[in-house]
Amino acid sequence: MEPKIEDVSIRIRHRKTDVENIVFTTFNTLIMITLCVVMLYPMLNTLAISFNDGLDTVRGGVYLWPRIFTLQNYRVVLKMDTIYDAFVISVLKMIITVVTNLFFTSMLAYTISRKEYVLRKPITTIFVLTMYFNAGLIPNYLLIKSLGMINTFAAYWVPNIISAFNLIVLRTYIKTIPESFVESARIDGAKEFRIFFQIILPLCVPTMATIALFVAVGSWNSWFDTLIYNSGKQYLSTLQYELQKLLASAMNAGNRTPAATGADAAAAAGGKNTTTPQGIRAAITIVTAVPILVVYPFLQRYFVTGLAIGGVKE
Amino acid sequence: MKRLLVLLLVAAFILSFAACGETKQPGPDTPAPPSTGTPNSSGSSDDKPAETAGGLPVLSPDNPVTISLWMTTASSAPAADNKLTKLLKDKLGVTLTYEIVAPDNADQKTGVMLAGGEYPDLVGATDLNARFILGGALIPMDEYLTEDKANLLFEHVRPYWNRLSFDAGDGEKKIYILPNYNRFYNEITGGTHYGASGFWIQKHVLEDAGYPNLDNWNLDKYFGLIENYVKKYPTIDGQPTIGFEVLAVSGREWGMTNPPEYLAGHPNDGGVIVKNNVAEIFANKDIAKTYYQYLNAMNAKGLVDRESFTQTLDQYLAKLASGRVLGMYDQRWGFGNAQDALVAEGKDHRTFVSTMPVYEGATPYYADRDVMNINQGFGVSVSCQQPDVAVAFLNTMMSQEWQKILHWGIEGEDYLVDDNGRFYRTPEMRETQKDLVWRASNRLEALLDVLPKYQGTYDDGNAYNADNQPEEFFATLSDYDKNFLNAYGKKTWRDFLNQPPENPVYYPCWNITLPDGSEAQMANKQLTDISLKYLPRAILAQPSEFEGIWAEYVSEIEKVNYKEIERVINEGIQDRIANWGGGK
Amino acid sequence: MSKTLAPTTGKKGFWSTVFAQRELVIMSVPILLYKILFSYVPIVGWTMAFQNYKPAIRSIWKQKWVGFDNFVKLFTGLNGERFIRDIVNTLGQSVLTLATGYIFAITLALLLNEIRSTKFKRIVQNISYMPHFLSWIIVTGMVSVMLSVPTSGGIINDILMRFNLIKEPIMFLAEPKYFWGIVAGSHLWKELGWNTIIYLAAMTAIDPTLYEAAVMDGANRYQKMLYITLPGIKATIVVLMIMSIGMILEAGFEIQYFLGNGLVVDRSETIDIFVLTFGLQMGNYSLATVAGIFKTVVSIFLISTANFISGKLGEEKLI
Repeated sequence: MEPKIEDVSIRIRHRKTDVENIVFTTFNTLIMITLCVVMLYPMLNTLAISFNDGLDTVRGGVYLWPRIFTLQNYRVVLKMDTIYDAFVISVLKMIITVVTNLFFTSMLAYTISRKEYVLRKPITTIFVLTMYFNAGLIPNYLLIKSLGMINTFAAYWVPNIISAFNLIVLRTYIKTIPESFVESARIDGAKEFRIFFQIILPLCVPTMATIALFVAVGSWNSWFDTLIYNSGKQYLSTLQYELQKLLASAMNAGNRTPAATGADAAAAAGGKNTTTPQGIRAAITIVTAVPILVVYPFLQRYFVTGLAIGGVKE
Repeated sequence: MKRLLVLLLVAAFILSFAACGETKQPGPDTPAPPSTGTPNSSGSSDDKPAETAGGLPVLSPDNPVTISLWMTTASSAPAADNKLTKLLKDKLGVTLTYEIVAPDNADQKTGVMLAGGEYPDLVGATDLNARFILGGALIPMDEYLTEDKANLLFEHVRPYWNRLSFDAGDGEKKIYILPNYNRFYNEITGGTHYGASGFWIQKHVLEDAGYPNLDNWNLDKYFGLIENYVKKYPTIDGQPTIGFEVLAVSGREWGMTNPPEYLAGHPNDGGVIVKNNVAEIFANKDIAKTYYQYLNAMNAKGLVDRESFTQTLDQYLAKLASGRVLGMYDQRWGFGNAQDALVAEGKDHRTFVSTMPVYEGATPYYADRDVMNINQGFGVSVSCQQPDVAVAFLNTMMSQEWQKILHWGIEGEDYLVDDNGRFYRTPEMRETQKDLVWRASNRLEALLDVLPKYQGTYDDGNAYNADNQPEEFFATLSDYDKNFLNAYGKKTWRDFLNQPPENPVYYPCWNITLPDGSEAQMANKQLTDISLKYLPRAILAQPSEFEGIWAEYVSEIEKVNYKEIERVINEGIQDRIANWGGGK
Repeated sequence: MSKTLAPTTGKKGFWSTVFAQRELVIMSVPILLYKILFSYVPIVGWTMAFQNYKPAIRSIWKQKWVGFDNFVKLFTGLNGERFIRDIVNTLGQSVLTLATGYIFAITLALLLNEIRSTKFKRIVQNISYMPHFLSWIIVTGMVSVMLSVPTSGGIINDILMRFNLIKEPIMFLAEPKYFWGIVAGSHLWKELGWNTIIYLAAMTAIDPTLYEAAVMDGANRYQKMLYITLPGIKATIVVLMIMSIGMILEAGFEIQYFLGNGLVVDRSETIDIFVLTFGLQMGNYSLATVAGIFKTVVSIFLISTANFISGKLGEEKLI
């Protein structure tokens, strides 16, 4: 073959690819920008409402910018003295849940990813089934109660150290890691514990990061466990639960019967103290979302950039 | 492998039995083990509070006690620096711990609490279906409710002894829960503002029509005014004028289903009307058909907002707050924020006043006398170790001295007293009272919501709270509203409604319990859902199609066992007539 | 692979294999027992499906037994008609939601993966998952405004009318035929970005040398996507799909509660709403349990089938 001809064909191909690339990149960028606009809107709208005067919000039509600026909504939320302890509990609960989940999920996922493991199928089956049934509120409560975990911090994390969904996701991921890694380690005489900790775990970082995120957000947003198990002890209350109660009382204030105090007239006097459910709800949303929005970028680099498995292969 | 599975299942079974064995908690007859937050005497338990001659312990700072409260309320717990919390501790030695459950979550929390069988000392329940009482969570209070023990609480329930007594299944009627609302003392001053139902109309519509006489009011006159106004002003502030909103948003569908009973001259009995002590449902009767056919005709004229049935509560309020809605059926508390927003914007003339249209021959009965609620308020739990202390606390709170503190606040700080001994607030005080942050530090709202209250007037003639003090109402009336009231020769908003006659003894039927899981309860839900499904269709249809939809609606209702609802309610009416009369 | 680790059948073989794999056993069996305690033991509570359960009678065994009464209540008469309608709605809404969710999330993940600038990629990702943190009441509030008439802020009708596609505004939320679509669309808006995360993570496992080789072979961008990226995450896609087939009766209740109304109830009401109104709100735990058991039976049947078919097709299996 004459090298010259090949050169030409490569060049032609390149030029074609260049044009294609530009078209694709332009389109892709446009799609992404549109997407960002659509996805950013609800958050910006919530942000605007959270800074807008409550009674003014009732009129509707607040979109991207507050019409009458106020900090009253945040003042109501942040002045609540219980939320600071609750914040600490929420953070502790989240950290412990994430750490235990990562440990147990990854360890178990590794064992059921071993094709030769004799208990692989029964274990997988037993875990998978748990995704599709729920014993119900009262039986679950009675179990936690008989374990002596009502009104204890343990009720937050002990029942939730592993989720079947995350287990399967991680197992599926581990299975895509070439078998040769494990085999070569085994030939070197490595035990299962070592193979798991030294070889498999480092390779799972992207998916572990994803699971950490799922677990963290799930734990952060949950309030039902506080209601059912731990509402009897104020020092165990979580941020989400406290904010839930605040929202209920804001709604209640909105539904009051204005009696002779002449709520009407006082409002006319320029009542800056009046809050409405929409405003409080928006401020609560921002207050709970911000910590996650701040933490997210730190996790993000693990699954956006990714780990080049090929690089470790040797 | 299979064997291992079997083994695991056996293990699970054994474990499950173990778990169940432990779930068998002592029933109501054997008191449950003490809960954590029961009254204690600061360290040493034998240091019992001193007893009065009659028997109830005296609360004093020398014998500090802690009382744990559980309640369903939408109000917030007090802040740590609350001044009344401090006052309770300084004056009575009482420390309260709060467990507050928002009303939306109450069903679920109640279920697990009853299954668990342990409770805080005082349970503040909205127990309309008697779940707590029947579940054996509360002790009967009869032994404390006497002249020489809890004298003030006794006075609170004395006239209503029979209706408050409940048979928890042992054949004896006892009082378990102290009612928290609408037990009145002395003169009822309240009602300068009225929270009840009405066909509301924008004040400017009446002003523009030269303040027409609102007596002998009917739907023709009501919608006639609206129609004329829409013709004259097709837009308000550049937006199309909306003639009539039907309140039908999720959770408030009564705005669509209740009006027929009022139009027919009946008070609010829920889904039934009562004639000669016999109740029947009205959803499929002519009084309902007439109203919905009327709305259908109004819709054909373009007077009904077609979005009524699809909008959210926020959207509904936003429309009212825009000032372009001329009328709607609602209860006053339901649109408070919209009214406030209009006033804040200086659009007093766009706010609403209530009117009472009725069918020909009927007398308006929109306003009723406030009904004392049963099965709602504080009860003492079976887990409470020192019920006498808990009762003593409730009794103390019932005194006029503490009622003033709880309702009005501290004299000089939260209200002032004029030369005639009348309580009043300055404009700054009124403004401060609206601040949720301030309230958390200066009021005990959650506690007050559930406590028995001294409604009416105190012995010194002041209303029990600021909302019912007539001077407060007149002091805060805007100029526009003063003119408006003058034009009608009325003093307060309540004067726009009928003078409520004495309630029948069984009234209201809506709080006759349809027992949990019963046929009647299910049928009632089915009935409501059929109304929600068909009424919007009937209203929005072409007038020619109305009859067909109505016939289908009625035939759907026939499939529901509504006779059972009527049977249970009539039984309740007869029971109330027979047993509710007396006091003690 | 060493001999002792090979799976064997037969009595003696089984236990000796277990012994040989004792490290794996130690790593897994305690967690298994834990899961059995926390997830399977409470199932004893399902007995309440056959009782007229009252929480106040604390022991499960002292309840009143009613046989299959609760099943009869749920599946026959007016409730029966309604429950079957609700099953159809649940299926319709979740199939539509799942299908659009999958297609868009995978597409978005592929497109994100093609962005060369790491910074831009991160920004897009950061923004796209934000709606996940808003509650349904907020999102449905916005959806309701967008779908209303133009004078109420209904941007969709506004656009359609500006382009002369319609003359009269469409009452989207009053027409039963749009409701499933609105549910799917709302889910897409809220969860699209969030759903891509898992695929992006899966993509990181793809060996970069595969792309290099493909470029050498002259593969263009689409070919790389189609023949390398997509197969690289196929296992994840298949497994997630099987899992979500089991979730098909979980269409939720919030969105339907906030956006549904009497006019569209024949298309909006789901099993969960039914259970909420006739079960929990009426203190009828037995009926709620019956509905729960029904959902479980259907789910397990569906995932078993899906798992089996997937295996037959030579794809990744869940179990």
